[in-house]
Parts: sequence; structure tokens; C-alpha cells
Amino acid sequence: MGRTGTAMDDLLNDFLAETAEILAEAGGAIVAWEADPADHAQLDAIFRFVHTIKGSSGFLALPRITALSHAAEDALDQVRRGNRQANAALVSGVLGILDRLSDLCTALGQNGTEPAGDDRDVIGALAEQGSTLDAPFEVAGVPLRREDDFSAELQSWRSIRVPLPLLDSVMTGVTDIVLARNEFARMLRESGADLSVIASFDRLSDSIAGMRQSVSQMRMQRIDKLFAPLPRIVRDLAQEMGKKIAFQTSGGEVELDREMMENIRDPLIHIVRNAIDHGIEALEDRVAAGKDITATISVSARQSGNQIEIAIQDDGRGLSPDALVAKAVASRAVTAAEARALGSKEKLELIFRPGFSTAAKVTAISGRGVGMDIVKANVEKIGGVVELRNEEGRGLTILLRVPMTLTIISGLMVRAAGQYFAIPRGAVREILLEGGDTVRVDRVGGGELATVRGEQYPLLRLETVLGRGRHHGDDVDDRALVIVRPGQGQSYALSVAAIHDHEELVIKPAAPMIMATGLYAGTTLPDNGRPVLLLDVQGMLAASGIDASETGRSHDRMAEAEAEAAAARNAAQLLLFRDTNARVRGIRLSVIERVEEIPASALFESAGRVQVQIGDDIFPVHAASLPGGEGALKLLRLYDGLAVLCYPIAEVIDIVRLPDAVQPSAAPGLIAGVVLVGGEPVELIDPFWLMEQYAGGAAAPTLRQPLCRLADDRDGWGGNFLAPILRNAGYRVISGDEPSDEAPDVLLCLTAEGEDCGHAGGSVPVIRLRNSVAAAGPGDETVYRYDRQALLDALRDRVGSARA
Amino acid sequence: MMDKLYLVARIADTRVALRSRAINSVVTVGTPVEVPAAPPHVAGLFALRSRVFTLIDPHVVIGLPPVLVAPGQRVIVVEVAEHGYALLADEIEDVCFIEAPETRIAGKLLPGWARVADAMIEHRGASLLVVDPSHFITLPALKAA
Repeated sequence: MGRTGTAMDDLLNDFLAETAEILAEAGGAIVAWEADPADHAQLDAIFRFVHTIKGSSGFLALPRITALSHAAEDALDQVRRGNRQANAALVSGVLGILDRLSDLCTALGQNGTEPAGDDRDVIGALAEQGSTLDAPFEVAGVPLRREDDFSAELQSWRSIRVPLPLLDSVMTGVTDIVLARNEFARMLRESGADLSVIASFDRLSDSIAGMRQSVSQMRMQRIDKLFAPLPRIVRDLAQEMGKKIAFQTSGGEVELDREMMENIRDPLIHIVRNAIDHGIEALEDRVAAGKDITATISVSARQSGNQIEIAIQDDGRGLSPDALVAKAVASRAVTAAEARALGSKEKLELIFRPGFSTAAKVTAISGRGVGMDIVKANVEKIGGVVELRNEEGRGLTILLRVPMTLTIISGLMVRAAGQYFAIPRGAVREILLEGGDTVRVDRVGGGELATVRGEQYPLLRLETVLGRGRHHGDDVDDRALVIVRPGQGQSYALSVAAIHDHEELVIKPAAPMIMATGLYAGTTLPDNGRPVLLLDVQGMLAASGIDASETGRSHDRMAEAEAEAAAARNAAQLLLFRDTNARVRGIRLSVIERVEEIPASALFESAGRVQVQIGDDIFPVHAASLPGGEGALKLLRLYDGLAVLCYPIAEVIDIVRLPDAVQPSAAPGLIAGVVLVGGEPVELIDPFWLMEQYAGGAAAPTLRQPLCRLADDRDGWGGNFLAPILRNAGYRVISGDEPSDEAPDVLLCLTAEGEDCGHAGGSVPVIRLRNSVAAAGPGDETVYRYDRQALLDALRDRVGSARA
Repeated sequence: MMDKLYLVARIADTRVALRSRAINSVVTVGTPVEVPAAPPHVAGLFALRSRVFTLIDPHVVIGLPPVLVAPGQRVIVVEVAEHGYALLADEIEDVCFIEAPETRIAGKLLPGWARVADAMIEHRGASLLVVDPSHFITLPALKAA
């Protein structure tokens, strides 16, 4: 039975469209479920997803897809029955199957047939970990499908798929009907028709209006669809880069035109990837910066008027304007002279320059040099704007503001030079009369300036911008002033002959040569049937060459926020962690230098103490014995200004503000007391006691180790026998011949008795070593060369202890 | 067959033949809406059903002074790169099949016409220029404006 019939093709297309949607949603659901394996609603939802795919593919005779979905369904069902644990391996296995399904569907869409191949690798990966647990459990009498599976399936039958061009043609048809209605209404009025005719026409008119409304809604989709693939992307990328990221979305119920959705999908994904790759710091850097280990990325949508605002917020390092400038200069995007002239906002906007990539090095995830410029171009193409809200060191918010639909915006109709123009309502902040009391217009050096309640705006006259003379019929004294805000931080006053009204406008792009003027954003056809040009409020600024930035207007508010944030930073913070014995403990964040992640093999036991080698340094570890096991180990690295001590932990939980109330311990010890964090008792580590235990311990490096110079070491005894002991005791040793920039702290003379030490002199203390056990007399200050204790004592007397 | 169907019209004071497959329709327009600051060959905008069309004055493209649009004037509607345009026509003569083949342009044309004309064709004892309407949409870079 070939798949030649049209009915079969339709079925296949429906299957592909449906599966593509399911796969996108399932990815997000699985990641959510991984975060909370107890969430049965999510598990059931995922089960239904794969079950639906399995059912449809069986009907269409697609054996590979059936087998894959069956494997996933099987594994998930084991979890539902409690036979199998949900863990990262299982989740990765299921995700692997979803990926393979997605690949197969792509191939299916291109060729119309399922490609031949072997899926045992992904199915096997999923089955492996399950097999050991599955066997002993056999639960009888559990229904394979539960009632809610059926009800959810029924839901999907309540909607149908309609090709987008069909929707478009319905939309065009309705717009035509509206225009015809308006013309008809005008004719009715002019002909002085019967009241009953007018009444029934009004009924028709109302239903047309209702229909127009429904048609525009038909094109709308919940923005959830756009957010669905993001959790998966964040999970995979965070895992790959070893970052901990909490991802959240909100405002998924906001609706957006399907076409707009297509246009912002890629920009959105790109911004999220960028945030993970460049925005979020590595774990250690976050601790060092006093931030929560788990970074937060949130994507939220909200509707404001006819615009949708999508904010992608992260609490990473933000953008550094200076670094951006340095990079732009280095990559020759701007010259050094240009860079100096840039304002802080313009510096940030360097990231929108083509070919600009903020990553210090190019990574596989992003930073390929294609990026924010494309994002900006895509968003602007659909009449949107991209804004940056940067808090250096504390995060970046990227705001995408796009019109709700490509087609309908609310516009303000204004008149100038005898014709009508539309201004997008979203950009209009205020409308005033030019001759009104609150407005003062000044001519300054050929330009005009409008002062409204103390705030100054550059003034543009629409006729001048358009290169037209004032229309003879326009009242000179009755002009209106529109305060326009084309983008964040910019505003100007636009003087027009008159304000007409607000209208919902269907916007279409104008012909390229009209768009090329830079003054217009499109054309629209209001109900009277005469085309109207939509003004490009940003383009008019550029065309007039006016700087409309509002710099320095909101200083107070920013300073306030700054102070508040500084206060929050100054409060003592507590790092919560899980101890190696699974107890939740806390320690003041300020004593932690960083969190080290090291292989367990870096720990060793020496002289009764556990120590760790990190890089070229060896530090003591607070542990009674070597922890067993393989793999990685996390260490808190405490630093008191002189010495380092490592404290092994299982994991870092959080950073919280240190509560004021501490219940102190009865006796000094590791635990200084107990505090309540989120209603749970947390043992507070006493760093003072802890450091005291190890102070003077084995090889704690000090800031500066005293320097010993061995003088007259003729036979090498000093270098071979003495130096290791000295080094072990925390001294640096140089022999007599080695040149050194540094004056030695002590001189050890190895010369035979009676001879003068050749290097003696100056203020450097000298210790003489003698070869005989017995001292020459009561006044003999020399030290027998094999008397280790006497030698170290003598050194300590002269220069102080090498140890902290 | 369609290949042989031409619209014979007088545009920019010259009789021309336009291949019918390049043409959408011929309609009459009222007063167009002006587009301030647009290139000079843009005579304005007008609506046809629910679409907005850009009106092009071929006179300007050829290098002649622009003409005023008279109400009820006929225009030739064409579509170029998904945008609707209309060429102002001085007169629409006929839509007819022309059996004669298109021939290479003989003789020297004015530069404006040389840019828009593709070929020549014989029709009822006269030589007509065969022009491509899409060539009227873009204005040549103005030499000395």
C-alpha cells in the first residue's frame, strides 16, 4: 500500500505537524519533570505525548517511529508504576529518543518515507539502566492507560489545522468587506434611505465588525508555544558548560500573531543561549561575586497596548561598556577617537554592530560573530525594537518589543501639509496644544525647542521634515504638539497642523522606494478608503539629524536603586552547603575565597593530616580521614588573609542573608551556633575555631616566607642535608653563590669553627653551625649542625616563625 | 497564445506595447494621496479593493516633466517583487494579439527609453516599442539632478 493517495498525504502531513508540536512541548515538560520528579502531572503529560506519537505512527505504518515512541512510553510507564526511578540518565535517554524522533520526522517530511536505519543505540541507552530494576517487580492489575490519557486525547480533536495562506485570504476578504461596508454606509446616508433599511444595515455592520475581530484572533497563538523549547535548550547548555541555572517563564498566556512568532523565535533562542554562554559566570566567579550559585534566567511576556514586551533577564555579569569599547576598537569596528565620543548607552549598543561578538574567545555555543546584529535586524524587520537594560556585574535584561500583529496597530491620525498621516500610538507620550499654557517654544540658533513643564524637547515640524510648505487652510495658532518617544531614552516634540483621531490601522509595508525615504514605516487603509502613510518616528529623527536622547533626566531614581543594592550587598551573607555527612551547614560567605572542584585523587594523607594538592600548592583539609570514593570533590577554600584551609562539602545549596538571631553553642568548636534559614535549623561553622586548629599546621603557605642564605657551603652539605629541612619548615633557601634581589632574612654560616663567615656583615642576623656536638664554651652561640630543634629555635629567634 | 497578447497604450507620450502577462489589470483612479519626500516618479498612493498601490509617473522615468493625475485617469496595474504598482497611462488603446515577431531595436533611442524598452514590434503599419513595466519602477540614478 503506497502512500500515494491524497488522503494518506494529508494524514502524513497532519502527523508531522502534530508531532513537531508535541516534540517541542515534550522537551520542555521533561526538563520540568527532571527538576521535580515527584510532579506526576508532568510525567502523565509526557507519557501522553509519546503515547500519541506511537498511536499515530502505528496507523501510518512508520515502524521506526513506533518502536522509538514505544520504548520511551515503556520506560515512562515503568516510572509511573513505581518500578523505576526517575533520574538524569532516564531523562537523557528519553530526550535522546525525542531527538531521534525529530530527525526522523524531518527526513519524513522531505522524502515522504521513513528512512531506513537502526535505533538500537538510543533505545538501548534507555533500556540499559532500567533492566536491572525492572525484573524483580511485577505489578499486576495496573491499567496500561489511565482515564485521563483518553480525555486528553479527545481534547486534541477539538481543533483543526488551517494553512496560513487560507487564513490570510480570509483576512483580506474581511478587510474588503469592511471597506465596501463603509462605502455603502456613505451612500446610504447620502441617499436619505428609510430608517428600517439603515437599521438592518447596522445589524449587518455589527456582524461584520464581529467577524473582523474573530479573524484577527484566528491568527493569534499563545506565546507559550514560543517558550516551549527553551527549558530544554537551557538544560542542555547549562549541563554542557557546568553552570547551574534556574529557568523560568511567565506570561505564556499572552497572544501573538503566528507570523510575528516565527520572526522572533530565532532571536529569542539566540538571546537565551548568549545569556547562558556569556552572561552567566562560572560557579566560582558567582561565589566570589557574592551571588547565588544557581543563576536565574527568566523570560517573560506581557502585553502593553498593541505591543508585546518580551524580557529576557539574567543575573549574570552584565555588559561592561569599557570591555565592549576595547573590543570594538581592537576589532576595528570603531576608531579610538570615535570610541571616546560614545555615550554609555552607545557603548552598550556596540553589541549590535555587525560582526561584534562579546565573548573573549569564540565558543561553540555562541560568539561566532553572527548574533546581536541579526537579532536586532530580525526584530526591527517586523516593526519591533530591542532594548538593553544593563547592570554591570549584576545582570542584563534584553527587552524585545514587537507589535502584537503584523497587521493591526493603533494609530494617531494627524494632519500636515493638507494630508493625513498616522503615528503609532505606542510611541506617543502626550498630546498638547502648541499655543497652550504648559508649552513654551523657543528659537535657539536656527533650531526650535519646546519646553513642557520644565522638560525640554527638540521640536520638529512635520511639514519641514517632509519637505513641504504649510498648507494654506491650516490654522497657524491652533497647531498641536505630539510628544513622541521613539525608543527608550529618546523623545522629541512633533508639531502638526491638527490631530484627527485614533484608529485601529491595518499596516502594510510600502513600496521599497517609499520605505527608502526613511520617513515612513508603511501604509494603511483607514475606513474611508484613502491610503494613509504611517510615519517612522525613529526615521524622522535620523532624517532631521537631531539628537533626542534624554540623558540625565532620571538620575535620582537610579541613584536610589544603586544605594539600595549596595545596602543589600553589605549585609553579611551566608553560604549554605551540604556537608559530606549530609548535614546542612552555613558559613559566612566573606571567609570563602572560592569553591574548588577537584578530583578525589588530589587528596592525600601525610603526617597524620589530610591535605590537598591544588595546582602547585598544598593546603590542609578539614577532614579526619581521607574520604573514600572516586570522582570529583568540592572544597570550600577558606582564607584568613594568611593561610588557606579547605573544607570538603557535598554541594553548595544557596547563598542567603545571614539571620540576625544566632543561638550560640555551649562550648567553642566547629559549630559556632545554630541559625534558622527558611524555618530550618542550620549549623553555623565557626571559621575562627577552624582556622585555629590548622594555624601552624603542616605546610600552610604564608604570604612571605623568610629567606635563608647558606654561606660557605663548600661541600654541598647545606644544599643536600640542610635545605630540605629548612624548606619543610617554611623557609626559602638560597645558597651562597646564587644571586638574589632580595636581602636574606638570616644567614646560615656553615664554615668550620674559628673561621670568619665570609658573608657576614650588615644587619642580617647570622647563625653559625658547628661540626662538633659539644659547645666550645658557655658563650658559644653556634649550633651543632645535626641538632634540628636547636637550629629551628635559633632561626625562629632571629627571624620569627616561618609558619603562620 | 498568451505570449502574443499585448496591451497597446500611450505612456509618456509614446505608443508602446506591453506584454499582457506582465500586467495585472487596467483601472481608473481618483485623486491619489501624495507621498512627501518620495522620489519624483512616485505620483502617489491609491487603494484598490483593500490593497494600497503606488502610482508611478512614466514621464519622469523617461526624463520628461511630471504630469498631473486627472481624476478618472486610467492606470496599468502591475506587480513587482510582491508590491503593487500602477503606471499612469495617457491613453489605453487596445488589447490585441500581434502575430508579428518581436525584433531587435533598430535605431538610437533617447536614453530614458533605451533603458525600459526590450524590443520592437510591428502593429498595424507602425513600429511600437515593447517595454517591460518593471523597468519603470526603479528610477535610474539621476545624473545631474
